[in-house]
Amino acid sequence: MILCPITILNEVNFWALGCIGLVAGLLGSMLGVGGGFIIVPILTLALNLPIKVTIASSLVAIVANACTAAGIYTKARLTNIKLGLLLETATIPGAIIGGFAAAFIAPSILSAFVGLALIYAAYTMVTRQHFISADTQPDDHLHLAEPGKISDNLSSSLTDSYYDQNLNKVVTYKVTHIPAGLGTSFFAGILSSLLGIGGGIVNVPVMHMVMGVPMKAAIATSTFIIAITAAAGALIYHYQGHIYPFIIAPLTIGIVIGARIGVELTQKVRGLVLRRIFGVLLFLVAILMFLKTANAL
Amino acid sequence: MKNTKWDDDRLKNWASLVFKVGIAVSLALIVIGFIILIYISGFKDIQPLVRLEQLPAAIVISIGILLLLLTPIIQVIIAIVLFSLARDRLFIIISVAVLCFAAISLALVLI
Repeated sequence: MILCPITILNEVNFWALGCIGLVAGLLGSMLGVGGGFIIVPILTLALNLPIKVTIASSLVAIVANACTAAGIYTKARLTNIKLGLLLETATIPGAIIGGFAAAFIAPSILSAFVGLALIYAAYTMVTRQHFISADTQPDDHLHLAEPGKISDNLSSSLTDSYYDQNLNKVVTYKVTHIPAGLGTSFFAGILSSLLGIGGGIVNVPVMHMVMGVPMKAAIATSTFIIAITAAAGALIYHYQGHIYPFIIAPLTIGIVIGARIGVELTQKVRGLVLRRIFGVLLFLVAILMFLKTANAL
Repeated sequence: MKNTKWDDDRLKNWASLVFKVGIAVSLALIVIGFIILIYISGFKDIQPLVRLEQLPAAIVISIGILLLLLTPIIQVIIAIVLFSLARDRLFIIISVAVLCFAAISLALVLI
């Protein structure tokens, strides 16, 4: 069993873990990702926890975040559950492979992977403006399906709708390019278990840009997918003995509170500004992770 | 294949309920366990690796964590039941496939 560098958890540590969870839940639910991209680097760098304990703790917190947000998003009819289940058939096998691959990869290499994932996340956050403009024309996607394709039956049964408060109308959309979406979801599953991030940074842009799902529905459906994927990955780490209940407890309490606030704020705050600011922050944290890897080598 | 708006609404109502109940129960257990921990140790001599006298708190928190991790799995099981009631064969197969993959994941944990 791995010995933690932190030998005693004091009151300050508990408050710190709770606050990390709160911020991760708040920003993660607002941005449509699990929140692991905040938890993993901070636990590793600030609290100096072993990377595998950090990732295991992060995955449990992500499940808490995703379940909290998914409950609210589904109530608002934003979640496309059928699409989420379909993409899960690719994501969970990826998560299982990623979970076992993590047992054979050195922490320094894992940190480098986390850094790479964060740079991708930063790029996604900063360049997301054109996704939003596409949301204003969701009906265009209704005419993208090509007749005669095997995926057409699936595509038509995945058609869904929700009421958009900003547009003040019911948005109906059809899901397209299903094979490409399935392939990318497999990759997202590997990232989920290998790096302790929820895979939302991959799933959301893929669903929106490739599969024609409106941004809000993509975020909500991604949250649904993350809940199942992160749970599968967390169980692997549980088996390997990396779940520490006294670290996870304050983290989970914080993230549930943060997620509830985040989902409410999503309706009120302009997302584009938050995403750009956070993209810069993620880029800085990614550099720190690369420095940590360089020091370990 | 039946694919009525009513079936989709029922699916989403159940999903929302499962997520909300799952998170409420698991969070309650985690908070209770945390309170037990503070009552026993009072923010002193708490280590990441559980000590014997802190075991009751660790057990309650661990049950909460396990319930939390099982909530999405329970959601998939309920989806299978609802798709069966709606006779939506395609999504019965897809949901069962998801559950099988999740079961494989759990089996790997138990091995």
